[in-house]
Amino acid sequence: MANANLIQPDLDFVKELTVEGGGGESLKKCFQCATCSVVCNVTHTDRPFPRKEMVWAQWGLKDKLLGDPDVWLCHQCSDCTAYCPRGAKPGEVLGAIRKISIQNNSWPSAIGKLVASPSGLIPLLMVPIFIFGAVILGLGRLNHLEGPIVYEKLVPIPAVDAIFMTAALFAALSFFTGIKKFWKAMLDATGRESVRGSVVPAIIAALSEIIAHKRFDKCEVTSARASAHKLVFWGFAGLAVTTTWALVYLYGFHLESPYSLINPMKWLAFASMCSLLYGIYKVVSNRKDNAEKAGEGSYFDWLFIWLVVLVGATGAMSWGIRLLGIAPLAYLTYFTHLVLVFSLFAYAPFSKMAHMVYRTTAMVFAHHVDMEK
Amino acid sequence: MEKKIGVYICEGCDIGENLDMAKLQEIATKEYKVPVVKTHRAFCSSDGVDLIKKDIQEDGVNTIVVAACSHRIFYDVFDFGADTITERVNLREQVVWSHPVPKEAESSGESSGGGEEGEAATGVDEDTQMLAEDYIRMGIVKVQKKETPVPYQSEDEFVNNIMVIGGGFTGMTAALEAAETGYPVTIVERQKELGGFAKKIRQQLPMKTPFNTLEEPTIQGLIDKVSNHDNITIKTNIEIARISGAPGQFLVSFKEPGSKTEWDVPPKLEEGEEACGTTDAKDASGDAVEPAADQVNCADILSVDPDAEKFGAVVVAAGWRPYEPSEEEFKHLGLGKFKNVVTNVQFEEMAAKGRIEAKSVAFIQSPGRESDDSDFPYCSSVTSLVSLKQAQYVTRDNPGGKAYVFYQHMRTPGLYENFYKAAQQNDAVFLTKGAVTSVGASGDDDQLLVSVDNTLLGESIKVSVDMVVLATGMVPSTQFEPVINLAYRQGPEFKDLELFSGYCDSNFICFPYETRRTGIYAAGCVRQTMTMAECVEDATGAALKAIQCLESSNRGMAVHPRSGDVSYPEFFFQRCTQCKRCTEECPFGALDDDEKGTPKPNITRCRRCGTCMGACPERIVSFKDYSIDMIGSMVKAIEVPEEDEEKYRVLCLVCENDAYPAIDMAGMKGLKYSADVRFIQVRCLGSVNVVWIADALASGFDGVMLIGCRYGDDYQCHFTKGSELCNRRMDNVGETLQRLALESERVQQIQLSIDEYDKIPEEINKFMEVIDSVGFNPMKGF
Repeated sequence: MANANLIQPDLDFVKELTVEGGGGESLKKCFQCATCSVVCNVTHTDRPFPRKEMVWAQWGLKDKLLGDPDVWLCHQCSDCTAYCPRGAKPGEVLGAIRKISIQNNSWPSAIGKLVASPSGLIPLLMVPIFIFGAVILGLGRLNHLEGPIVYEKLVPIPAVDAIFMTAALFAALSFFTGIKKFWKAMLDATGRESVRGSVVPAIIAALSEIIAHKRFDKCEVTSARASAHKLVFWGFAGLAVTTTWALVYLYGFHLESPYSLINPMKWLAFASMCSLLYGIYKVVSNRKDNAEKAGEGSYFDWLFIWLVVLVGATGAMSWGIRLLGIAPLAYLTYFTHLVLVFSLFAYAPFSKMAHMVYRTTAMVFAHHVDMEK
Repeated sequence: MEKKIGVYICEGCDIGENLDMAKLQEIATKEYKVPVVKTHRAFCSSDGVDLIKKDIQEDGVNTIVVAACSHRIFYDVFDFGADTITERVNLREQVVWSHPVPKEAESSGESSGGGEEGEAATGVDEDTQMLAEDYIRMGIVKVQKKETPVPYQSEDEFVNNIMVIGGGFTGMTAALEAAETGYPVTIVERQKELGGFAKKIRQQLPMKTPFNTLEEPTIQGLIDKVSNHDNITIKTNIEIARISGAPGQFLVSFKEPGSKTEWDVPPKLEEGEEACGTTDAKDASGDAVEPAADQVNCADILSVDPDAEKFGAVVVAAGWRPYEPSEEEFKHLGLGKFKNVVTNVQFEEMAAKGRIEAKSVAFIQSPGRESDDSDFPYCSSVTSLVSLKQAQYVTRDNPGGKAYVFYQHMRTPGLYENFYKAAQQNDAVFLTKGAVTSVGASGDDDQLLVSVDNTLLGESIKVSVDMVVLATGMVPSTQFEPVINLAYRQGPEFKDLELFSGYCDSNFICFPYETRRTGIYAAGCVRQTMTMAECVEDATGAALKAIQCLESSNRGMAVHPRSGDVSYPEFFFQRCTQCKRCTEECPFGALDDDEKGTPKPNITRCRRCGTCMGACPERIVSFKDYSIDMIGSMVKAIEVPEEDEEKYRVLCLVCENDAYPAIDMAGMKGLKYSADVRFIQVRCLGSVNVVWIADALASGFDGVMLIGCRYGDDYQCHFTKGSELCNRRMDNVGETLQRLALESERVQQIQLSIDEYDKIPEEINKFMEVIDSVGFNPMKGF
């Protein structure tokens, strides 16, 4: 075991972080004073982060970081960034590491590269545009749009569902391989073959933590972020319930949309939409307010945020414009909405959306390791 | 000069209210028959000064005693020119502000404020009054004994040129700085060409703000400037055989490097080694020291080389040499075992020659393994900075190259932090604190495996590298040889080098450039490891000091620390017993005794501390304004109360550099202490002659305190050795006390620095308790 601790810094990994736009431009400024680990409220105390992650990143120890649950336990409160005496912005650096981690774990990795770079945006959007465009043109739907605005006329609901089901399946498959890879990396990093016992208690612990935003609430410098995130989170949850509800109506009771405005499903949809829109507005405004202390955030972050904003906005507009009866604009908005929703879900494993999966996995792993003791 | 004394007692600053002014005047008029005695409510006012000036002009007063505040205040106000002798008696800080005055004295003092003399103040504290009276007496006696010093004149001509030893970066900078101000300078360099180590490097550390980028070497520009300067003469391939003489008149004999000449300086003669022998037989049975064969022909230090060149002052910029590790020293780091383990100096030379081939290099700062976090011997911030510099070479020469820096201490002081930040910004430089435990073969090719424990990465690590560079230190040249080769009786080299690991000695806080040899100023890495930017500052400072020396020596003035003092020690040789104590004890080697042992004073080497005066058992050394007789008479002027008065008297000799100002400060802060103590200021405790102590005790003083600077390894003495020598002389006092059948506790030396004024009452009271426990001096009244 002479070379057991042989360290081989991955210079490309360092450059990937520190390159302009990499998100970790400030990484090398760290001089290891550990102020970050001291001010962090969400770190555990036995091997606190993010000090150790900073030196690992400086040394290009990619494997260690990709198998490190702490990278994901970080909620980017930015307390560390605000207090860092050297301007090394540990919060930003960990965010950049998470981006690389997402790209590295997700499959196929080519899509990951496209999501991470501004030049990949057009090709990515072309995919849903092409699919939905093909359906619309193929079925000749553009010629049957007269009369009251019914979105079913543009794209048949079963087609929408089929496309989204496929996208969701693809995302789920990609997530599954990603989680598997991440789990293995975490096992390797801690020198384990597998975890002992059932992970169910750890999953329950992690989920209850997530639902209540227990960790997020500990942030200080960017304390408003937790409530904004809650609104977005519950908005998405509500919309998920609405979607399920709609599926039940359609396939269970064969009720066709649009539904009446007094239908409670509409109320839930409306409430969720408001929550999502106001939440994401707060996310954006918080980020602007905190930029000086917490950093500007990367393209990767903003891509996700704007996607959510636009999904929410086009969703709301599709509804509003339909009620106003402006047909061409309504259909165009609806089409955009479909494209964006597709992007949100199909590319979720490669975008920042993936944080919900990886952070949850990391929390489960961390809880499980704690419970093993 | 016929002295006409005038005593001026000030009433201001609480003095008039708390002392019986009439009685104080009587001391002068009745006891000492002083013709002019006056009081004024504030002599420091223009009224007061005019009063004194009027007496000088109209009444012929030429010897003035101002009894008011400390002489450390208003020295310019009470400066009446070189034709008068002026002495200050400290009635404010050391009498009324530091001693108890009864409450009623204040009120009665106020009511009698308008009244002039004759109105005896009631309620004056008896002891405080006695103290003031004694100080008046001492002040009058002091001016009676004082003479106006006449600056030292030499028959030999003083010259104003400067010799700079060392033609490296610092030496050339010093030469240029001095030459630019118009002084002729000669650079002496042992190598065949100028430049020193600065010429062997690829790039130099930042020299200008913001101190964050490596710079191309500037040495050639400096060489060109120096070579073409009208005021600079360059001597290369030459060595100093000896420097004899004194500041303003140094005589330097040169020789070819490595050769032996008649004018090589002989080594210091040890006791028992001398031709004429001494009465000291301590080492008589000791091993006969055989004089080295090649030294036998050296001319004695007092012989004069007719071919010697004359210089006024010397700047030593002899620089440093790379630390040479012994074969076994860093075996665990593979030095000597693997050809790709090198020192930082070797690496720099490789880098200067061409591209660094090694793609990965480990820079090791500390060899101590886990047991010890010390860096390499003679390491400093410079070696830290050099490692950061050399790490850049690796990554610039090799795209994809990696440089690891393992340190226990990363020292980048001041603005060099910017350089650290810039170096750290390099993606391919990997820094961590850690204990390097070993460097071994990696197995494949010439790769080396560096093992490091306790790293910031949270574990022990190993890295595989092409090359290992050890950040070995920079050893001052004075560690290897005297460099200056002084033909001084105390020996050719700087003193006490071992206290400073061979670095050229200096009191680095107060007087960084002054060595213990007046006229010889150290600069650059010979004095302290430093970067080139720091060397510039250092070289300039030393050059200015050398100029100050030239312009003081030729005026008969002391250079430092009593800058401008024109008094100097005079020897009454008829009574000299050739005991050589003065020659040996002089902290600055100012005296060279001849073959008989008679001291030859070299006045321009002297710093006027009076250590020779303190050392001389025959008391033949004196200054015009500071002598055995003067202080002795002041001691005698103090009235020692009879035994039945039940009052103690303690003499306290205080150093003027730290202790006296500290006592003044205690007074300013209103700290109170016993009124039984009488302070006498001395130039240095080194100047304290045992006879004063013996006389004081014989005349009934109950104790003697000596307050001086800290001595030992971290000495603070302005004259380096004064307080230490004084302490050693206390052994002799012990014998005196035994002879007088007195307790040894009656004499004590206290070490005090200027910021410890708050300890004054405590120290004095402690001593008074000791005196109280041994009781009154039984010699009283004899």
